[in-house]
Amino acid sequence: MIRKSILSALSLTVFCLGVSAQEKIKEVITSDYNRNSVSVVNIQRADSYDSSTQGAVSSFYPGEKFDINNIRTKFLRAPKTRSEALTQEEADEVVSRTAFAREILASIFNRRSDGMMDDQTVRYRGNYDAKDQDVINARAARVGTDALGDLGHGLVSGSYIVLTDFYKVDRDTDSKGNVYWRTNAQAFAYKIGMDRDALNQFYEQCWIYDDDDPATREAKIKAFQNLDIPMVPVARATAAGTGSSVEEAAESCLGDLITGLENRIPAWEVAVTIIGKRPLRAKIGTKEGLKNGDRYRAYSYTEDRNGNLKSVKRGYVRATEISSNSGMSIGETEPSKFYQISGIANVDEGWTIKQSNDLKIGVSLGPKFLGLGKLALGADIDYLMNTSNVGTMSYLLLSGSLDLEKTDYVPIFFGLGFGYGFHLTRMFEIMPYAMIGAEHMGYSNSDKSSDRFVRESALILEPGLRAAINVAYPLQVFGKAYFDVLTLQGATYKLYNEHVGHKSGLGIQFGLKWTF
Amino acid sequence: MIALTLLMTFSAVSANAQSKDRRKSFKSWDNYEITTEKVGVDGTKFVKVWGFGKTVDAATMAAKENAVHACIFRGLPGSATAMSTPPICPNPDTLVSHEDYFTTFFAPGGPYLAYVSMTTDGVPSGTDRRKVKGGYKVGIYVQVMYDNLKRKLEADGIARKLSSGF
Repeated sequence: MIRKSILSALSLTVFCLGVSAQEKIKEVITSDYNRNSVSVVNIQRADSYDSSTQGAVSSFYPGEKFDINNIRTKFLRAPKTRSEALTQEEADEVVSRTAFAREILASIFNRRSDGMMDDQTVRYRGNYDAKDQDVINARAARVGTDALGDLGHGLVSGSYIVLTDFYKVDRDTDSKGNVYWRTNAQAFAYKIGMDRDALNQFYEQCWIYDDDDPATREAKIKAFQNLDIPMVPVARATAAGTGSSVEEAAESCLGDLITGLENRIPAWEVAVTIIGKRPLRAKIGTKEGLKNGDRYRAYSYTEDRNGNLKSVKRGYVRATEISSNSGMSIGETEPSKFYQISGIANVDEGWTIKQSNDLKIGVSLGPKFLGLGKLALGADIDYLMNTSNVGTMSYLLLSGSLDLEKTDYVPIFFGLGFGYGFHLTRMFEIMPYAMIGAEHMGYSNSDKSSDRFVRESALILEPGLRAAINVAYPLQVFGKAYFDVLTLQGATYKLYNEHVGHKSGLGIQFGLKWTF
Repeated sequence: MIALTLLMTFSAVSANAQSKDRRKSFKSWDNYEITTEKVGVDGTKFVKVWGFGKTVDAATMAAKENAVHACIFRGLPGSATAMSTPPICPNPDTLVSHEDYFTTFFAPGGPYLAYVSMTTDGVPSGTDRRKVKGGYKVGIYVQVMYDNLKRKLEADGIARKLSSGF
């Protein structure tokens, strides 16, 4: 019996793995990307924070890459206290009570009180979304560029509702007595459940023409009111934020929520093809919300023996120079530039790159030898501030280390710095940096004086050089050489240091770095 | 005498190779994909066509050749937005009976290029650029100057004018 169960479990596992593998094979990344439209709706909990969170949501702009559907419903009420997060089922229930699809259609087609609609917004969006290839194709066709507006009809199915929910809102004070607010937030994204057939049906049944008689008009108005188009849940993201007010704390979450949803909704990830090399160029820019340092993943295409198309991952690139393309395409869009940061093969013309957001934060960990002491464990965080066409990158650095030999005195170093990385090849980065920080020693809790920290610390200046090489991106191996200058020692620090023995000196560090 | 024999042998081998290449080239026309994109502006056909070659450039040239070949011998299929187009030379024997003409016509850099222009933005890209065994398969958008091509073939006596039957 047991053997039978094990065999069944094994068969099921093998089957599941097989199915999963098949799904992976079938998944082909393409460069088809079209603009999406969103409406942000806030969940209210009938408490004093409603107006603040609503204020944050109302003033929030999700970015230039989205069109905004200005729907009537701006908030929904959920019968739950703010101490708890809304569950997916509760959010679905709240959303199902409102005819969002109808509101979206009314917004997109500028529906008036008499039921009349127009396609101005759709045509505008179609023209705005048109790529250079669409413009060139339209010129080659008899219909001409006037037909570009028709592309907008295809964008209706890319309409979303983003439901924001702020919960566990807390007031707190920092060590200086300043009040600040903390909030957790989550966003639920729902896509309009409307395909091309449903859209055609909508035009047929609900579109009122000037020459329609009153009875037909009435029937079409009723048909619109009876439209039953579902909003399909597609993704959920969470974030947390702080601020000097509830509104500010809520505002600080919203950008992260959109980024979180972007990572979970493939249709929101911008995809485009590389049109040129040295430097790499692609026709996206401000219109797609592209920013310096944004990461994209490159893909090429092959066919297997049976002629099935496969996309092959080829490494990552980062945006360097962003073109301003916020306007209608005339077939000559200025491309943005990119720098390849990983991959064995050079990213080539014609390959596809697809948005692959990261935090631009690298975390390094490794032992430090010499320097202030003899052996310490060091951890660094670097934030990528800027990337250039030639692969130079600016970093904001945060560093910390703990002396592992004199742990009785808890000697902790922490510093802030700036680094400027040069890429000799995309796999190898060398970065001179400078850091200013402090080393603190102390273990007594009895001293409550305000200047205790200063007395127990010394100023450290650290110029250095870090070299990192890609092992398997985003994993890197790094080595660092630096010179610690110990200066401005506090009185207590000086006393402790007689036992600890820290001094200025040359040090090295080795370790691993992971980019998030 | 030896030199003359060598020259003759070389010429024969060369001619044989050319003939084989040509046959191979003609044979490759049995298998390519073409779709009508939209109704082209007056006198033109707007199609998406695929080609195969060792390099992307070679595949692009092959695709252009295929587009012109389709207009002459295969005809263009219809689509949701455009009617189908019959071939300029519907007689299947035309290619064989005018082999020399078409060998020159479709030679690298040959006259066929005057009747086709690529409308793909930049290089073939994305899923229209596929690495396959032995090279690349690319899909490009092209505009074929159909009416001009037809007039040229009629003037050269390859295609029959519609008026010739009356």
